[in-house]
Amino acid sequence: MEAITGWWDDYFFATIVVLKIFMASLLLMVIFGLIGAAAKLSNSIIAKKIANAYTIIFRGTPEILVVLLIYFGSAIALTALFQVFDPSIKYVDVPPFWAGTFAIALIVGSYATETFRGAFLGVEPGSIEAARALGLSNIQTFIYIRIPEMWRIALPSFGNHMLSLVKDTALISIIGLNELLFVAEQATATTGKPFTMFIIVGLIYLGISTVITLFVMGLEAYGRSHLRAVK
Amino acid sequence: MSFDISLILDSLPKMLSGIGLTFQLLILSGVLGLFLAFVLLLMRLTEKWYFSFPAQIFIYVFRGTPILVQIFIIYYGLPQFEAIRESIFWPILREPFGCAIVALTLNTGAYVSEILRGAVLAVDRGLLEAGSALGLSRNQRFIYITSPLAIRLGIPPYSNDVISLLKSTALASTITVFDMMGIARTIVAETYAPYEIFISLAIIYMIFTFFIQKGFGYFENFMSRHVKK
Repeated sequence: MEAITGWWDDYFFATIVVLKIFMASLLLMVIFGLIGAAAKLSNSIIAKKIANAYTIIFRGTPEILVVLLIYFGSAIALTALFQVFDPSIKYVDVPPFWAGTFAIALIVGSYATETFRGAFLGVEPGSIEAARALGLSNIQTFIYIRIPEMWRIALPSFGNHMLSLVKDTALISIIGLNELLFVAEQATATTGKPFTMFIIVGLIYLGISTVITLFVMGLEAYGRSHLRAVK
Repeated sequence: MSFDISLILDSLPKMLSGIGLTFQLLILSGVLGLFLAFVLLLMRLTEKWYFSFPAQIFIYVFRGTPILVQIFIIYYGLPQFEAIRESIFWPILREPFGCAIVALTLNTGAYVSEILRGAVLAVDRGLLEAGSALGLSRNQRFIYITSPLAIRLGIPPYSNDVISLLKSTALASTITVFDMMGIARTIVAETYAPYEIFISLAIIYMIFTFFIQKGFGYFENFMSRHVKK
């Protein structure tokens, strides 16, 4: 274990990078999921078709393929775009952080689309009718009835999506981001102790997923707190 | 930026030559993983803590870490130990293909055993009580009542897991296995045409996903053929 001394700070900063990717992709994932669910529930046939294509494509292709395609693809597309304005530009560098964040948010967002759609459909029609009877407007119904009921239904699957996001951050090392797996590879090259270095990465990921699992369990308990008095 | 059709036509046969390896990865680790999942399930269903606790730890660890990290630990990490290099497993763990199979098997085994447990626990208690009222033993109840019903309940989530496994096989390309993904990455490195190559490969994977879904759909219909629609 003494091989690790001197690498702690690298692991620490790499963990911060992973957490940053997680936060950024979580936000994007929720946005993609909500847009997708809204499109699937809308009356527009075109929006439905687009949302269906989105979920089929991103649920049917390997994650690593999406990450590589978005990273290299966006570099080429942006280069072509910038060359229109300034032909002297040879190559535009896309930051792997954002390419990777965007890619994993798109992937998990396609799963979240289905979760959110199901959760919105799972809201009791009786609650909506009660809200109408009480004279609540559409917006009020949405904020006070639909959202509180819907997030409780979505939470268990949503927790799994958060775990998928954390685990997918490991893929971003493939496009050269300085995160945990990348640090472990560098440390292995210097110390010649691959098992020690990669096990630490595994333990850090296990720690992050444990915290998320406990957080979701806490939220679920909070979501049920109004039911406890009935028992 | 242009879309080069002739390049796709050139590289498609090359990529499809890796289809065999992708299938081997999928089927070998799928079958071994199912067997492992069944063992883990039996360990968890016993009420002995020294069986169920190790199984729970195994599932927790393999579901809580990225599959890519697991692949790297097995491929790069294990040869650090002299004992591994001299053991009988070395011929398997020396090859990237063997490591990929081991990692995918352990990973999918952990996920599938949770699916199976959910399916077993979802079997209606009333049916099991009816079974014991008819004088069936514990083992008979498991074989004749729990198993057929649990298989039917487990098919939809299991088909999703097989699709995840198919997608995970692409990760074997990171440890120099030349499956479809590995070949595609070499072609992209040579030609620098990510759009053409990766999008056509994505379509190939989507076709597979479609067939896996259809296949399991038929199997589910077959298993529930006596259920009134």
